[in-house]
Amino acid sequence: MKCTQTPGKGETMRIPIRMISIATTFFWMFLIVFLVSAVYSVKDVRFDFGEPQIGLTSDNKILFSLPITIDNKGYYNIGCFNVTTEILDHEGFMITRASTFIPVIEKGGQVMATHNVTININDLQNSQDYLFNDTELELREMVGLKLAEVIPVQASTNVSMPWGAPLYNFTLGEIEYAGFNGTHMTATIPMSFENHASFDFTGNIQIQMYNSTNTLVSEGQTTIETPQHVPYSGYIELNVPIIGITENGHLEVYFLTPLFEFGPLVIPYD
Amino acid sequence: MIEEKKVFKKRLQVFIRKALKATIKGVVFYGTYFVLSMFLAPVSEIVPGFQQMIEVFVMVYIFLMIIGELTAGTIFHHFFNGAKALFVILYLIFALNGGIVGITVQNVNLVVDLRLFLAVAMLLGLLGFAKSVLQAVNFLNEKAEHVHF
Repeated sequence: MKCTQTPGKGETMRIPIRMISIATTFFWMFLIVFLVSAVYSVKDVRFDFGEPQIGLTSDNKILFSLPITIDNKGYYNIGCFNVTTEILDHEGFMITRASTFIPVIEKGGQVMATHNVTININDLQNSQDYLFNDTELELREMVGLKLAEVIPVQASTNVSMPWGAPLYNFTLGEIEYAGFNGTHMTATIPMSFENHASFDFTGNIQIQMYNSTNTLVSEGQTTIETPQHVPYSGYIELNVPIIGITENGHLEVYFLTPLFEFGPLVIPYD
Repeated sequence: MIEEKKVFKKRLQVFIRKALKATIKGVVFYGTYFVLSMFLAPVSEIVPGFQQMIEVFVMVYIFLMIIGELTAGTIFHHFFNGAKALFVILYLIFALNGGIVGITVQNVNLVVDLRLFLAVAMLLGLLGFAKSVLQAVNFLNEKAEHVHF
């Protein structure tokens, strides 16, 4: 039998195996403790979304402001906090998109921010739906952050948001003529609508009267101030030359407000 | 007859020692899980099936650990260690859905991107597997040297 005295390969392999064991155990412990503490610390992070405010911007756009308060009492910083809002119409067309980004929320710190979303009604004017009919808008809300600045988390939701038309059920009543002088008559046009919007309707309504030969016979305007969710009922008086009056024709209505301009809305009369 | 009894007694002692070691390891592992599960309790309330997922993992892991300990001193010990490492890798891939975990709670979709964690865990798992292979090679090597000697 042959006898070897030199240390075997097994002896030399034990050291790297032991090193791998130590390193693996250390990294597993680090990974698990880090992950568990990062997840656990979420319970100490408070997100407060305040009451949304509706107002107007300096360039006459509708402004939705959402105050956000983040109180990070967790063990780690929160990175890349962002809130994104998308508003889409019922056909899925994007009306507006807004984002608010906070790079880092330090542990133990509190951050207050305002998430602003603006809507330019002039962008909507191609569709009369928004001015004259109540409808539903789709609101996509996304909140993203990085826990411990490493683990990305994103929450998103889709909700339907009712859109109240500022000129809901806009109607012009039957024209009543009264004598004015020998050549002209006063045409009184009753007008009514309901302001279902979440903003006050303030502006001018201009009416042009055309007879059956498409000749402009008269025009007039009135200034209206209708608070939100309040119905309006009034009239416009036009001085119409008697020779221009026909049994039928059409009225062209123009709406001029700081928020939007729309027209002509063509309404026939007879 | 006396020699056989001695051998049996020695084997029984070895088995009891292995079983004791396996039991202690299992208890320590379960104790660690128990402590960590308290920290993860808020997640279990939000994520349905999370507790069950972790429990299945712990059960299988402890089972492989006990079997591995009971077969200590044989090549199977290293096989079970390797199986344990592979189980960790595969279970994490399937349980974490490739690293993107998504749940829906009351019309809110929550997505957690754990790909970085999964990548690190997989690397550690592979390291563990490599260690088992090395241990198996070392075991066979030592055995061969012993026979040779």
